[in-house]
Amino acid sequence: MRERRRLRAPDVIGAARGGLDRVGRGALLAAAIVRTLGTPRKWVHASLSQAYSMGIRSLPLVLFMAALGGAIASQQTGAQFTGGLPLWVTGSVVAAGVLTELGPVLTAMVLVGRLGASIAAELGTMKVTEQIDALYSIGRDPVTFLVVPRVVGGTLVFPPLVVLANAMGMFAGWAIGLVAIDGLTSADFIFGARFYFRPWVLFFSVIKAALFGVAITFLACFIGLEGRGGAEGVGRTTTAAVVATTIAVMVLDVLLVPLLKVA
Amino acid sequence: MIEYRGVWKSFGDDPVLRGVDLTVREGETLVLLGPSGTGKSVLLKHAIGLLMPDRGDVRVDGLSIPDASLDQLKRVRRRVGYVFQNAALFDSLTVLQNLALALDEEDRPRPLRAVRPEAAELLARVNLQEEVLDLFPAELSGGMRKRVGVARAIASRPRYVLYDEPTTGLDPVNAETIDGLIVELARELGVTSIVVTHDLESAFQVGDRVALLTEGVLRACGSPDEILESEDPVVRRFMHRRFGTAV
Repeated sequence: MRERRRLRAPDVIGAARGGLDRVGRGALLAAAIVRTLGTPRKWVHASLSQAYSMGIRSLPLVLFMAALGGAIASQQTGAQFTGGLPLWVTGSVVAAGVLTELGPVLTAMVLVGRLGASIAAELGTMKVTEQIDALYSIGRDPVTFLVVPRVVGGTLVFPPLVVLANAMGMFAGWAIGLVAIDGLTSADFIFGARFYFRPWVLFFSVIKAALFGVAITFLACFIGLEGRGGAEGVGRTTTAAVVATTIAVMVLDVLLVPLLKVA
Repeated sequence: MIEYRGVWKSFGDDPVLRGVDLTVREGETLVLLGPSGTGKSVLLKHAIGLLMPDRGDVRVDGLSIPDASLDQLKRVRRRVGYVFQNAALFDSLTVLQNLALALDEEDRPRPLRAVRPEAAELLARVNLQEEVLDLFPAELSGGMRKRVGVARAIASRPRYVLYDEPTTGLDPVNAETIDGLIVELARELGVTSIVVTHDLESAFQVGDRVALLTEGVLRACGSPDEILESEDPVVRRFMHRRFGTAV
């Protein structure tokens, strides 16, 4: 008969202590980042270069996913509302869906896989191959050299990527709507989109993007720096980073909903 | 002078160092011998604060490393060069960029073309050509990577150089080159060195003194002759296994 392992009090206490330790180390890393931000000449150049490379590398995939998101929103609306509601509603639904959710969240999901995993794997590999120790040994601070440029770069690049994703999602929603929904005209779609649109929605989208940028890059850096245990360890670190950043994006998405009602 | 005073260090429930006392004198090359997993690298890492002792003290030029501030630690690290076991070069940077990081102060970086002559001079010290500056670590052989690691360690003109298994994984020719380099740098730059190794030939070639660490305890420390003539059965067994003959 298979022996069942019972959870014992020391296991639970040990796990809780480990969790608290990790939260403490995360807080220390956040404090070190804030401290480093006070000396911009140490990180501005590297951050701009990170932002540029993150943006260029991610743009094609972000635009592709946004186009698919917009196309799906438009077709689903057409399929469900045709005959029940005026066709211009398609423009409103696509604008609402793309600007408040699909644009920021799909972009964030792309960047979780594209950047979060890559940052965690890169820093995890540096940790297990003693490159982080080597930085310390030459009097360099890994937070200044590795973490701050990635967090600042990610935070800078996410909002423009989301704005472009929004534009692409709207364009794809319009183009696919014209083809797939009988009787929908450009004038209907634009009327519906303008009927829904308020400038705050765009700001909301950009605010979300910036917060997603901070969360994804910070968590990926933190988890990467915690890496241990050779190639297998780097694999575990990367998986943990993808899981943690995905959860963080969704939790932030839920928490930010009330902000939409501000205006 | 680097001093370890009653250093204890555990990872989880496993004590790796058990009250190690060791003084590394000015200008000497001390070789730290011992079987794998006995705490040699752990002891070395304490000297620049990459690890902190659970108990005891580590002092570099009188400064207590566990009590040092971040700024003091940074200054110590500029005075102590560290050669990592697998060189630990930054693999996304060229050799020139690797050396530039060690040559420049964090808040006063120079353009790479300004650093190039100094970097080439460093490479010449470790018998490498200037062309190597433009290569990435993945394009170098194991021996070349180690030598670039040594060049990076001496970039800040340190008073101390710590070598963590510098010849491990190298063929005999490259291992001999690295040993020669350690002796040469000690003589020409006048640095104090600690060399962690389990290669006995290398140890007796480069060391002014030899220390043996077993199971986290410093078992013996003395001149190579004293170690070879030691009556301690543990020391004799280690030498016998390694040299393959009775000592």
